[in-house]
Amino acid sequence: MTPDILDETVEVWFGPQHVSAHGWATKLKLVGDFIVECDPHAGYFHRSAEKCLEYRNFRQGSPILERLCMLEAFLAEYPYISAVEQIAGLVVPERAKVLRTIMMEASRIHSYQFWWGQLSAEMGFFAMTLWPWVDREFFLDTFEELTGVRHSPHFSTPGGLRFDFTEKVLAKLEKAIQVLEYNMPKFEDMLMKSPLFRMRTEGVGQYSAKEALRWGLSGPNIKACGIPMDLRKDQPDPNLAYDMVDWEVPILEHPDHPGESDAYDRMVQRFNEVKTSVDIIKQLIPQIPDGPIIDPKARAKANRLPEGEAYGRVEGARGITSLWLKTLEKAQTPYRAKIRGPCFHSYYALKHLVPSARFADFIVIFGSLDPYPGWWDR
Amino acid sequence: MGFLRNLGEVFTILKHIFRQIFKRPFTSLYPFEDRPYPERTRGRHIHVRQNCTACAQCVRACPVLAIRIDKADKMYEKDAALYFDYTRCIFCGLCVDACRFDALYHTPIVDMAEGEREDLIYGPEKITTLDREPLEWRGRRFR
Repeated sequence: MTPDILDETVEVWFGPQHVSAHGWATKLKLVGDFIVECDPHAGYFHRSAEKCLEYRNFRQGSPILERLCMLEAFLAEYPYISAVEQIAGLVVPERAKVLRTIMMEASRIHSYQFWWGQLSAEMGFFAMTLWPWVDREFFLDTFEELTGVRHSPHFSTPGGLRFDFTEKVLAKLEKAIQVLEYNMPKFEDMLMKSPLFRMRTEGVGQYSAKEALRWGLSGPNIKACGIPMDLRKDQPDPNLAYDMVDWEVPILEHPDHPGESDAYDRMVQRFNEVKTSVDIIKQLIPQIPDGPIIDPKARAKANRLPEGEAYGRVEGARGITSLWLKTLEKAQTPYRAKIRGPCFHSYYALKHLVPSARFADFIVIFGSLDPYPGWWDR
Repeated sequence: MGFLRNLGEVFTILKHIFRQIFKRPFTSLYPFEDRPYPERTRGRHIHVRQNCTACAQCVRACPVLAIRIDKADKMYEKDAALYFDYTRCIFCGLCVDACRFDALYHTPIVDMAEGEREDLIYGPEKITTLDREPLEWRGRRFR
C-alpha cells in the first residue's frame, strides 16, 4: 500500500517575519517543492483606519487615508475627499481639478517605479532594483517642492487643494518625466529582454479574465487580460480633468494566450500604464488654467455636513480604490466610513492562484499582483 | 538560434550595467553633505509668541492630539504656551494652516532625533527658539 502523498505535507508560514513579507503572513502547505494549499492571513498590519476616521472631522481624515498606501498617496486620499465633496455639495475650481489630476498621475508613475524595483529585488535581480528608485527620487523631489514632504503629502482638501503649483514645481515635474522617458528603454531592455526574468515570469500565476472578474481584481491586473476596465474612462469623475485629455485605456492582448495574463504580462501592462500616465500629464500641463485653487467658503462648508451618503472612487495604481461615507445631520465627523482597498482582492486571489505552483514562484506571483498590506488591513 | 538570441540579450543587459559603472554616484554622504530643502518643507514648528492670541485653533485642527495649550502661562498680553509632542506629530501642517495670526510656522529642520522620549516633547522654551542654524542641526552627532 502506497502512502497518501498528502500525508507528507509540510506547513510553512511565509511571513510575518520574512523580509519580503512586509507585514503579511500566508500559511502554505507544501508537498516537496509544490504548494498544495495557500491560506492568506490578513490582520498583521491592522491599524483600524475606519474607526480612526470616525473620530476625526472632515478636514483631518485624509492624512489617515494616505497612510494606508504611501506609494500612491495622492490617489489614496482622493476617495475620502470626493465623498465629502459630494455630501457637502462643494464646487471645485477648474485649476484645482487639473492640478489634482496631474499629481494623481505622477503618483501613479511613482508607485509603478517603486514596484519595478520591488519585484526585481524579490526575484534576486538586484541590478534593476535601484535604478527605477533613482528616477523615483525626481518625483519625490517634485512632491517635496509642492507640498513640503516626500511621503504623505496631504495635498487635497475638501473643495480644492492646499498647495499651488509654482514655476519650480513645474520645472521639477518636467525634469522627472524627462528622466523617466530617457530611462524607460533601459528598463524595458532590462526586464523584457532578460532571459532569466522571462523564465521566472512567463506562464507563472496565469489566470483568465473570467477568473479575474470573479475574484474582484481590478486595475492593471485585469487590464493585462485584455479587459479595458478603467474608472477614469468608465465613470469620469466631474472633479477630475480626464475629459480634457485624449487618451485610450491601455490593455494588453498577448498573442499566445489572449484573454489570460501571467506575471510577465502584468509587468508589461504596467509599462503601458506609465506611458499612458506620462501622455496624460504632458497633455494637461499646457492646459493648466489660471484662478483660485480652493473655494473660499469650502472650509466653512466642510465643518458640518448634512445627512447623506456618498461613494468616492478613483482608479488607483493597484485597482479600484473607493470609500463609502455616511454622515448624520449636522455631523462634524463621519458616522461610518468603509474603505475598499484594491489589494484585498488580489491578496485573497492567491488562494486560487498559488496551488500547484512551485514554492520559488510564490513570491513572483505575489509580487506580480502589486500588493500593499495597508490596503487589505484597513 | 535561441541560444544566440539569449546571448545577445544578455549582452544588451551587460552593456547597460557597464555604462552604469562609469556614472556619478547618485547618493551623497549624508551627515557631511546635505541637500537643499525647499521653502515649503514641513519640519519642526516654531511658535511666535508675540503674535499668538491663545485662540487654540491649532489644538483643534490637530488630527493626532499632538499639541497642548496652557493659557495661564502668559509672556505677553494674550499669548499662551504651546507644548508640541513630536512622538505623536505627523507633520500634516493643519495647525499652521489653521493659525490666522502668523504665530505658528514650519521650519526646514527635519533631523530631530533624541535619546529620550521626554526630549521630544517640546515645551514653551524649546518651541519658540531655534538654538542653532537649520543646517547645523544635521549630523551634529557625527562630526
